[in-house]
Amino acid sequence: MSAVTSVAVVGRDAAAWLAAAALKRAFGASGLEVQVIELPSLLQSPDVYATVPSIRGLHRLLGLDEDIVIKACDAVPMVGQRFSNWSEAAQPLMHAFENEPPAGADVSFIQYWLKGRAEGLKVDLSHFSVGASAALQNRVPLAGEDPDPSLSAGFGFHLDARAYANLLMQFALHNGVTGRTAISVEAEVEGERIRAVILDDGARVEADLFIDATGSDALLLSRLPGAAIESWRQWFPANRMLAASGPPLSDLPAFSQISAVREGWVGLFPLRSRTAITAVYDSTLISDDEFADKLPIVARMPVGGDAIVSDLSPGMQGHAWIGNCVAIGDAAVTAEPLDAVQIHLAHAFVSHLISLFPADAEAMPEATAFNRTVRRVAENVRDFQLAHYKLNRRFDDRFWNRARDAATPQSLDRKLQLFGLRGIVPLNDDESFFEWNWAELFVGHGLIPTDYDPRIESVADEEHVMKVQARMRAVAETVRSMPSVGEVLSSVVGANA
Amino acid sequence: MKSALNVVILGGGTAGWMAAAGLSTLLPRSRCTVRLIESDEIGIVGVGEATLPHMKNFNDVVGIDEAEMMRRTQATFKLGIEFRDWGFLGSSYVHPFGMHGPPAGGLAFHHRWLRAHQNGAAAPIEEYSYSVMAARQNRFDFPSANKSAISSTYSYAYHFDASLYAAFLRSFAEARGVIRTEGKVKDVELDGEAGNVLSLTLESGEVITGDFFIDCSGFRSIILGEELGADWEDWAQWLPCDRAFAVPSERTGELTPYTRSTAREAGWQWRIPLQHRTGNGYVFSSQFIAEDEAASALLANLDAPALAEPRMLKFRAGRRVQSWRRNCVALGLASGFLEPLESTSIYLIQIAIMHLLPLLPSAGRSDPALAAEFNRKMDLEYERIRDFLILHYKLGSRDDAEIWKYCRDMPVPDSLMEKLELFRHSGDIEQYRDGLFTLPSWLSVYIGQGLQPERYHPLADGEPVDRLVSELENLRTDIADRIDEMPKHAAFIERYANANEPTEMVLHEAEARL
Repeated sequence: MSAVTSVAVVGRDAAAWLAAAALKRAFGASGLEVQVIELPSLLQSPDVYATVPSIRGLHRLLGLDEDIVIKACDAVPMVGQRFSNWSEAAQPLMHAFENEPPAGADVSFIQYWLKGRAEGLKVDLSHFSVGASAALQNRVPLAGEDPDPSLSAGFGFHLDARAYANLLMQFALHNGVTGRTAISVEAEVEGERIRAVILDDGARVEADLFIDATGSDALLLSRLPGAAIESWRQWFPANRMLAASGPPLSDLPAFSQISAVREGWVGLFPLRSRTAITAVYDSTLISDDEFADKLPIVARMPVGGDAIVSDLSPGMQGHAWIGNCVAIGDAAVTAEPLDAVQIHLAHAFVSHLISLFPADAEAMPEATAFNRTVRRVAENVRDFQLAHYKLNRRFDDRFWNRARDAATPQSLDRKLQLFGLRGIVPLNDDESFFEWNWAELFVGHGLIPTDYDPRIESVADEEHVMKVQARMRAVAETVRSMPSVGEVLSSVVGANA
Repeated sequence: MKSALNVVILGGGTAGWMAAAGLSTLLPRSRCTVRLIESDEIGIVGVGEATLPHMKNFNDVVGIDEAEMMRRTQATFKLGIEFRDWGFLGSSYVHPFGMHGPPAGGLAFHHRWLRAHQNGAAAPIEEYSYSVMAARQNRFDFPSANKSAISSTYSYAYHFDASLYAAFLRSFAEARGVIRTEGKVKDVELDGEAGNVLSLTLESGEVITGDFFIDCSGFRSIILGEELGADWEDWAQWLPCDRAFAVPSERTGELTPYTRSTAREAGWQWRIPLQHRTGNGYVFSSQFIAEDEAASALLANLDAPALAEPRMLKFRAGRRVQSWRRNCVALGLASGFLEPLESTSIYLIQIAIMHLLPLLPSAGRSDPALAAEFNRKMDLEYERIRDFLILHYKLGSRDDAEIWKYCRDMPVPDSLMEKLELFRHSGDIEQYRDGLFTLPSWLSVYIGQGLQPERYHPLADGEPVDRLVSELENLRTDIADRIDEMPKHAAFIERYANANEPTEMVLHEAEARL
C-alpha cells in the first residue's frame, strides 16, 4: 500500500497540458511529480477551440490569468452559438450558455413562457434569456459585484488551438510539471497495468499512473485488456471534418455561427486575427474537393490557405480508465465540434479524475466509479449534440432527412418526449447543460410543447403577466449594461482589438 | 377551455390526505378536482411517526403553518436518528440531518478528518457535526439563516402522531375543496379496451367515476395490486424483517430531539419521542424470533410503562414495479414497503406527489411517457433508499444473534457492494442528483458501524498536518461552545408548539363566541 507519487502524461496538445497542469495544481503540494511526454502535435494552423463557460472556472482553478489567455490565444469571448438554416422556415436559433438556476426555485420560468405563449404571448424565448439576449447584441456578461444569479450568464472563448495548447504548456512547465518530447512511444504492459513507456530514443519512463492524452488513437489505453471504442457513428450523419481560415470579421460577434448546408454544416469561429472555419459533412454525398470548392460560398468569405480534411468518427472508450491508465481528451471521447464542448470534456474528465484520484498506487478501484461518471458526462453531451440533428427541419436534403429519421438513444428520446409534452427537461446526473439550455435548444429547433406543467395554472393571471413582463425588462436592462465584445477586448489588448 | 381532471383518491391515511392536500393546493380547481374515499371502519397504519427534513418543504409548499401543525399532532423536532448496537454491540452513532464540518478546496471534510484520525489527532467524527452535538445534548434551535455560519449546517424534521397528522391534513384539504366520501370499496370497474379504471363501487352501491385514480389503500393495494396486477419486486432477501409490534409508552426523561433505533436479537427497536407519549416498536424477522417473544422483548425494553397492548403489523420489503399504470398511481404502502429504519415512508409519499404533479395528465389526454417518467424517478428513489437500508444490515461484525450473522454474510446488490468497497479503500462517497441520502448520511453509517477507510483522498495531504489538527480543534470547540448556548429541546417545544396550549384557531373561535 503506497500513495501515487508520479504521473506520466503521454500525449499532446491542450488535453495533455491541461491534465498535467490541473493534476500538478491539485496534488503538487502533496508531493506529486507530473511529467509530460509530449508527442508531435496533431493540431493544424486553422484549428480552433470554442469553449463553454466552464473554461473560466478551469482557469481560475489553475491560477491562469484570463487576460494572458486572451492576449496569447487570439481569443474572442463567446456567449453562445447561432444556428442558421437548420430549419427551412424558422429564424436562426441563438443558443447561449445559461447558468444552472438556483436550486429550490419554484416552477421554472420556461413554464411561464409556455403558458403565456399558449395565451398569445408573441415574444421569443431568447428575450427572457440573459445569455441569448447578450449574444444577439454582441455583449459579454461580465459579472458585476454581487450578481443576481437569476440574471447572470456565462461566457467562454474562441481560442486559436495551437496558441492555447502552447500557453497551457508554458503554464504547466512554469508550475513544476516536467516535460520531454518523443516522436513515438510504446507501452510496456503487464496484466492490466502499464509498467512503463519506452520512447523512440530508447528511454524508459515509469510512473504510478499514466494519462493517455495521445488523441483518438489512444496509444496507451488501447494496449490494455478490455479497451474498446463505442462508436456513435450510427447517430451522427457526418464522417468528415474540415478546418480552414478566413479573414477576420470587422465587427466581432459574441457567438459562433453554425450554418447548416446540404451535406453538413459550416461553423465560423471569430478570432481577432482571422476567422476559423470548421465544417463537417458526409463524404458519400459530396467529395472532399467539391466541398472545399463550395466552402467560400457557404462560409460567405474567402478561404485562405489550405483546407485541412480529416476523418470524423464520434464515439467514446467504453472504459476510459483501465488499470493505472486514464484516457483524457480525444483518447477518451471524440465529440462533434458542436456546442463548444471539446475542451470542456477534457476538463470534466480531469476534474472527475481529481475527485476520484487513486488513493493507492497498486489497486485503483476508483476506476469503476470514474468510468460510470464520465460515461454519463459524455453521453449527456452527445445527446445534446444529437438533438440539433434530430430536430432539423430541412426536408429536401438526404443528409438532413437521414439525421432526422435516425433512431436516437433512449436517454434523448425521453428528453424529447417530456419536453414535447410538458416543457419539462428530465436531467440526468452529470449534465453539462442545464434545463434552460435544453429548452432553448428544443424550442429554437421548433419543438414546442403541447402542454405545460399544470402547477403553473395555480399562478393567478395578473401575477403571471407581471412576472413575464418583469423578467423581460430585467433581462433587457441587465444586457444593456454589459460591455460589448470590442470593449472587453480593447480593455485587455488595447484599442486595436 | 380545458375541463378539469376528475381525480379520485382511494384511502385516507397519511398518503391519501397528503395527496389530497398537495393536489388541492398546488393545482387550481379548474385543472383538477379531488375526491377522497375512506372508511372510518378501516384503521390507518399510521406509518412514519418520524419524518425527514423534506417534510418541512412539503408543509411549506402546500402552506401549512409549522407551529400549528406541531401543536395539533403532538409533534417534536428531530435532528437525526441515533443508532445503538448497530454494527457492533455498544455502538452509538447519530445519522444527522446535517454535515460533518465544511468542505475545503473541493474536498469533503471527512477526508481531512481521516488524515488527522490516522495521525492519532482527531476526536470522534460526530464532534465536528453541529446537529449531532446538539442532538446528544437534547438541544434544539432553528438553523441560522446565515449560510456561512456553522449553525446553518443542518436541517430538521419532526416526530408526530401520524393519525393526528392525517386528521390535520384532512381538515386542511377539505377547506380547500376536497370532497370526502365515507365508504368501503366493493368493486373496481375497468374499461374493457384500454384497461383503464372507470369507477369504484362502494358497499353502499354508490358508483364513483373518475379520470385518474390515486391508490392509497395501504398494503392491500386495491386498485394497483389487486385489480391492475402490478408485479411485486421482493427485497426480503436483503431486508429480512417482516413483522413489527408497536406500542406507546409514557413520556419519560429528557425530551430527545432524535429518533432512536436499537439493534436487537432479531431486528431493531424504535423509540420516537412525542409531546404526550413515546412511540415504540420492534421491527423483527419472524424467521429469527417467535411473535410472542418479540412482543415480550419489546415490553421488557421500554423505558416507561406501556399505554396499550402491542399491536402487530405484517409486511414484506419490496415494491410494485410500476407504481403508475394506466390511469392509476399508487402512493405509500399501496406502492411498496420499506421498513421505517430511516423514516422514509412519508418521504416516499411526498416525493411521489411532487413527481406526480408536473406529470399529471390533462382531462381526456394522457401519454404513456408521463407514467414512464414518473416510474423512472420512483425507481431511482426506491433503489437508492433500498441500498442505504441494506447497508445498515450488511455492515457490521455482530455475531451474537443469528439475524446479524445472516445479514453480514448475505450477498447484496452490486451497486451497494461497489460503494462499500470504494469507501473502504479510499473514503470516497459518490454523489447523485436525484434521490435521498447524500454524503453525510452514508458517512455516518459507514463510520458509525465500524468501517474505517484504509486511506483518504490524496488532496487531504496538501496542507501541513499541524495546521489541519489545529483547524479541526477550533471547529470542534466552536461547535461545543455554541451548542452550550442552544435552548433545550423541551423548552423550545414548550414555547413554540405546545400541544396543550390553545391554538390560534381555537382562540379565534373562542373570541368569536364571546
